[in-house]
Amino acid sequence: MQALEVSGVTKTFGERRAVDGVSLAVNQGEILGLLGPNGSGKSTLMKIIVGILKPDAGAIQVLGNDATKDPTAVKRIVGFVPESPRLYEFLSGIEYLDFVADVHGLVPSAKHERISHFLKALDLEGRENELINGYSQGMKQKLAIIAGLLHRPQLLVMDEPLNSLDPRSARIVKDLIHKLRDDGVATIFSTHVLEIADAICDRIVIMDAGRVVEQGSTGDLKAKAGTPGSTLEEVFLKLTGTSDTREIVEALSH
Amino acid sequence: MRTAYELAVVLTKSQLRGYQRRRLMARIFGDPRIILVLDALFLVVPALLFYMLSGALPSGIEGSLRELEVEALAGIPTAIAFMVILFGVLSEISQAAESMSTDLVNWLPITPSEYVAGSTMSLTYTYSFMLSFLLGVSLGPALRFGMILVWGASALMAVLSLFIGACVVELLRSVTNRISSSFYKKSGRSGIFVRLALTIVVLVFVQLLFSGRIVVYLLQGIMLTVRVAWFVPVVWPSLAVLAGSQGNTLTFVSFAGMTFAFFLILFGLAVRLRAIYWVPIPVSIRLTNQAYHPLRRITILPGFGSAEAAIFRKDMRSLTRRREMTRFLAIPFVLVVSLSISLLPISGTAVPEGLGFFALIPLYVIPLTVFSAVVSMTSLGQEGSAVWNIYVAPITARQLLKAKILSALLLGLAFSVTMAIFLGVLLRIATVHIVLLVTLGIAIVLGQSAMGMYFGARFPDFREMIRSRFISVWGSLIGTFLCLLLAMLTALPILLSIYVRRIITYDFAIVTFAIGLILFFVGWKLAERQIRTLIQEIRV
Repeated sequence: MQALEVSGVTKTFGERRAVDGVSLAVNQGEILGLLGPNGSGKSTLMKIIVGILKPDAGAIQVLGNDATKDPTAVKRIVGFVPESPRLYEFLSGIEYLDFVADVHGLVPSAKHERISHFLKALDLEGRENELINGYSQGMKQKLAIIAGLLHRPQLLVMDEPLNSLDPRSARIVKDLIHKLRDDGVATIFSTHVLEIADAICDRIVIMDAGRVVEQGSTGDLKAKAGTPGSTLEEVFLKLTGTSDTREIVEALSH
Repeated sequence: MRTAYELAVVLTKSQLRGYQRRRLMARIFGDPRIILVLDALFLVVPALLFYMLSGALPSGIEGSLRELEVEALAGIPTAIAFMVILFGVLSEISQAAESMSTDLVNWLPITPSEYVAGSTMSLTYTYSFMLSFLLGVSLGPALRFGMILVWGASALMAVLSLFIGACVVELLRSVTNRISSSFYKKSGRSGIFVRLALTIVVLVFVQLLFSGRIVVYLLQGIMLTVRVAWFVPVVWPSLAVLAGSQGNTLTFVSFAGMTFAFFLILFGLAVRLRAIYWVPIPVSIRLTNQAYHPLRRITILPGFGSAEAAIFRKDMRSLTRRREMTRFLAIPFVLVVSLSISLLPISGTAVPEGLGFFALIPLYVIPLTVFSAVVSMTSLGQEGSAVWNIYVAPITARQLLKAKILSALLLGLAFSVTMAIFLGVLLRIATVHIVLLVTLGIAIVLGQSAMGMYFGARFPDFREMIRSRFISVWGSLIGTFLCLLLAMLTALPILLSIYVRRIITYDFAIVTFAIGLILFFVGWKLAERQIRTLIQEIRV
């Protein structure tokens, strides 16, 4: 069953078309990697999917719920981790998670169990009573990841979630995403680190200038690149028209 | 000196550009040279205007006008110091914590004295237009009456006072930073409240200290004489000008020298404090050492679920923990102190004569309306760039409105009752009138909370800059103006009752309360519709 279906979604800011007729689908228990150069429309598309931006055209269905008509219902089943999350810095880590859990209506026992579990897993245990404004960027990122997972979402939308994480925490998050896949949770995951996408995603969508330029499994994409033994990076650079890196480096080094 | 000057230029640009959001306004008012233009305009235009005006007045009152001019020239230096401190303090408490300091000064080879000199110059320059205006107004009559030398003395002392005011603001910055750093570090949750209370106390204390009226009033009580002003450094510049106007050169030089010495002491103190505390470093604050045990929340109101309660709790924490929110808690204290200063007569008698209940109502209604409307109008915008947390939450417009309006109502009601009791005690008004004031206060808070919420949702400003406004300038102006009109409408029945019947009757108070309730329901409907539109799409 499809967890997410995006059909012909378009979003324009002023004269700039950030997302241009994008269609894609994610099945339950599937990890979809969203790749693309800076400004390709990945973050905008993710915000539209979680219901915090309205598309100019197109439709989004999340497990049978229309995201444009009933965004509140969609928000109950979606977990979102934004790029560079801004948190309430005047709250302590635990107060922030308590806030998120209460907003999602978690009962105290479930709240306690899940918050304690995640704090321990992501090495925040012992720091949870400190105000967030004293946290490092990596700690804030971990808190945002926990907040996105607290209410057991069925669709997880993560915009570069591994940014600023230490290797151990990054590994835990990657393993967690795999574990959630086994439990049937669908995940959309954007990253600029192509090795990560190659390692954890079942399928990859490459966006450029607001459009989907290619999608498929990593094997399919490498095959489509036409050169045997290509890496995902070479495929990406070829599809997004940024393969002239050598000339740029030459120019910059002079 | 060059470093201090360059730092002053950067700080001035930061001051000016922190206010400007629109590109055109930022281009015009973001350039420090605009202050020079304003200075020239504020000096020349009032000077010409008042020169012509003073010439057009009948010659019979020239003697009185001369006396008035001397008093004005003597008052300018003290007034300018007070104004700079007041504006500096207001600006200080409205700055976001993350905008308070720049790490850059830690890395650059800047000494504390260069920093204080640069910061003082920047403040002096930024607020110089106020001095220009005061000097402009007094220049016209001074030219007309041949008092240009006295005007020159006043200008000299006023410039010195301007620097004194800037030094005090700089001192205050170090002291408040010290309060925040040390209390946060040591005492966790209780420290937050101590820090908040101390910040407010410092702000109010400074306001009192630099109100010559209060200092003289207090000293009067002890020394039983008006001539004690001699001991108050803030009035030395004025005494110097007075001495100058009487041709007493020695006294003028003495007071001017003492003023300059006072400035040097303040500057040295500011450098010393800056050297000790420098730029505050963010401290990791542990609120408690207790393990996490979530409690089953008891819903405080019918229809008030866990989501609404969570947002309400977050907003109350924001109010006590965020530096830029201190102003909302400080407003009632500052208003009460200002009111006390204006109501307490210099002679020492408790109640000014002729101040009836009729006159008291605007005195009560205006601060209450402004406070209540501002708290409500800024409630949504204070989410800042963390507002995405609200957008991704599965909550409806009604839930958000319920959570936000509760904090505005509680704060407004607390202020209305405290203010009514304070006025009652200060002016010794009858208990029945205090009850009436409280009724009026509740009616106003009900209306303003809901109406303010509508304006806050219609004109929110989520951007976090040096001085976050939480509501657009236009929204704030339109909202405050309309809220004041609606508050006057709410108070009208009681005012009519006093004016027409000469007595206060309760039926009119009931009408006032009914108006408050109607405004609450109208405002609620408008706000709910507007919030529904707002949360459809994030604006950050």
